[in-house]
Formats: sequence, C-alpha cells, structure tokens
Amino acid sequence: MSHGKQFTFYTHKAGPNGWKVVFVLNELGLKYENVYIDLDFQKPGYQDPEFTKYNPNGRIPVLIDHRNNDFVVWESNAIILYLTEKYDTARHISASTPEDKALELQWLFFQASGQGPYFGQAVWFVTYHQEKVPSVIERYQNETRRVLGVLDGVLCKQEWLVGDKYTIADISFIPWSNVAINRILADVEGVNIEKDYPSFYAWHQKLMAKDVVKSAWAERAALIAQ
Amino acid sequence: MSSDTGSPLLLYTGKTPNGYKASILLEELKLAYGGPDYDAFSIDIRTNVQKEPWFIKLNPNGRIPTLVDRSRNNFTVFESAAILLYLEQHYDKEKKFAFDPVSDPDNYSEMIQWIFFAHGGVGPMQGQNHHFNRYAPEDLPYAKKRYIDETKRLYEVLEIRLSQGREYLAGPGKGVYSLADLNVFPWIRLHEWAMIPTLDEWPSLKAWVNRISERPGVKAGVAVP
Repeated sequence: MSHGKQFTFYTHKAGPNGWKVVFVLNELGLKYENVYIDLDFQKPGYQDPEFTKYNPNGRIPVLIDHRNNDFVVWESNAIILYLTEKYDTARHISASTPEDKALELQWLFFQASGQGPYFGQAVWFVTYHQEKVPSVIERYQNETRRVLGVLDGVLCKQEWLVGDKYTIADISFIPWSNVAINRILADVEGVNIEKDYPSFYAWHQKLMAKDVVKSAWAERAALIAQ
Repeated sequence: MSSDTGSPLLLYTGKTPNGYKASILLEELKLAYGGPDYDAFSIDIRTNVQKEPWFIKLNPNGRIPTLVDRSRNNFTVFESAAILLYLEQHYDKEKKFAFDPVSDPDNYSEMIQWIFFAHGGVGPMQGQNHHFNRYAPEDLPYAKKRYIDETKRLYEVLEIRLSQGREYLAGPGKGVYSLADLNVFPWIRLHEWAMIPTLDEWPSLKAWVNRISERPGVKAGVAVP
C-alpha cells in the first residue's frame, strides 16, 4: 500500500458502522487511509471480488493493519476489539479488569445483534423499501424503543456501561443511536426520546460531545454534503 | 425459583439456538474437564417469564440465555456470545475451544470476527426469517422472502469460508473446532425451520453441520433443556 499509513480502512461516508471504528481509531491516535466504498443499499452485500477477497460478507467496515502483516479484520466490533487489544494497552477506552472485559463483550454483543440489525431493519422499511408496510414498520420501531428502554434502565443507575468509565462499549452505540433519534423515531406520534428515555438521551449527548466524536461526526456531515 | 443443587453455574435458557450455544459449550467443558456443573433453569419464552421484573434484574434485555456464576459472587452475563467467551475464559484453561488472545492474537481475532458475523448477521436475520415465516400473524410476502434470501446469503458466506479446504471456521490450516463454530452451529442446524429444506446447495457447510452434530458434547447440549 503506497499511502504509508498504518491502516487501510474500507468504509462508507454515511453508514453507521464505519464511524464507530473511526471514533476508536481517533481516540487511540492511529493513522489510517480511508477508502470509501459506494454501497448500493438495495443489494445485501457488496459484490466486487477485489473487496470480497478481504470480507466474504461484502460489507464495510474492513480494516487492514500493515504493521501486522496486512492482517485483515471485518465486523465493526471485532475491529474495535482488535484495535483496543493491541493498541490500547493503557486501557484508556477499554475495560481494565477481567470482569469488566466480560461486561464489555456483553454490551458489544448486545449492540451488534440487538441495536444495529434491528435499527437497520427499521431504516430499511421506513426509508428504502418501496412499499410502506405498517405492521412491519411498527415492529421495528417498537423494537427500537424497547432497546432505548433497556439502555435507559441501565444508565439511570450508572454513568457508563462498563467499569465506571467511557469505553468502547459506550462508543459502539453512538452512530445507530443517532439513526434512532433522527430517522427511525423522528416522526413517530407520542414519542419524545429526551422525555421518554432521559438517561439514555443524556448519555448519548455526552458521547456526542466528546472531542473525537464531535469532529468525526462533523467530518461525516461534510462528506455527505459533497 | 431455581433448583439449587449447589452447582457453581446457573443457566437460564430455553429450547432456542442461542440457548443451545451455552448448553453445548457447558456439556463440551464437562466432557473435556469433568466440570463445571451447571443447573439449567428452563424458560419457555412464549410465556414471557423472561420479561418479569426478577429476570430483568439479571438481564435488562429480558432474554435467554443468561448465566449466573455462583462460584464468582453471582457474576451475571447476558448475550450468548459473551457467555461463550466468559465460560471459555474461566473454565477452558487449556484453550481446547478457543485461541489465546495474548499468545495467538490473530487466530483469536479471526475467531472473534466470525463470532460477531454470526451474532450480528445469522442470528438476527434468521430470527426475522423465523418470525415472518413461522410466527407472525400477518402474511407478508416481501418480509418472508427478504429474510429467507438474507439467510441464504449468510449461509453462502460460511460456505465460502469452509470451502477453502476448511473443516472449521477459525484456526490455522483446516481449522480447529472453536467458539466460532459453536456460536453459529445451532442456527444452521435449524435451517428447515428457516424455510431452507436442505443444505445441499452449500456442501462444505452441510459437511460441517454433520461433523459438529456427531460430537457427544453437542448431542448432550441440544438436549438441554
């Protein structure tokens, strides 16, 4: 790779899962080259063989570590775990004890299976699908609200998800939470996220105010506007 | 509430793929190491017991499986893949079912990648397939087809990996049986329920399912509860 940076990062300008990883890369001060893939959201997986040779699932993000024999990692939370295992040895943004490590994994798995995919289905049926099917839209909007409720119920008792500190567990939820607020539940009658899920909302705003998150999110806005 | 026989572990579980993930690993550990013993508290998720306040205290997401480790101050873990990794960390001392993150970090990372692929992809998408094709009161052809197609696409991804001369998803060469396989096997095993009558279209995947099904630990695990 001629760009000379430690990582090549295949991602998408708007898609939520790539930005999760960007937050972590920037928190750790790591240098990477963005390669923006033009995804067709009507297709379930990106088909280009030059890409699927790295990720047979045909999705972003994908990270290549040129300082580790061009090691390839895909699945956004697996990438995040790879980065913190190797490059956050001081545990600034990751769990410090074995117990907290177990809980960190727990929340990352909840995010990867409970938030991302369900919020993703909500977006599909609300925005992309050519037909509006009310019962299906309602199914995924309700599940979105349920997940916000789960987080709210935990965060009303504690400031951060794991170890009394800001970690990748919290970071992993950021982009899709924005999707829930700005798109999935934006025009739903009777829903006021700040009022209905106050602890979740406060936690999310605190995360969005982090320097690294704020600047990356501004970068995203600029890219989308182009 | 629980059948307190004094086993170190208590597993709240049910007759679901995610529940079987945990019981299979526990049975495999018993065969490999003679323990730990565990009590299985069986929940029929159709009754919504797992949404009751006492259970929400254990798992705010109100789902099974959920593990309580009585031998470690009742430390509680939810999310099936996190349970697998927790059990592995504490009870698989010789790393028979996983890779060491410190001495074997790249194989460990590959295992984690396939675990997240199954956890974020196969589980939720095949789950939506089951919902619209088997449980939903309304007949929604688009939704039914969407999730069948996505289930098949995910099976194809596994096929791509396994057809590279592999017997298992992670590990060097032909691969080594690990949590990567365990985390997704119970879902693939249920392909008929997912409106996919045979796995003939994915021969390496089919061989992998048969291979894993033969394991005594797996046979014991899918009988719990």
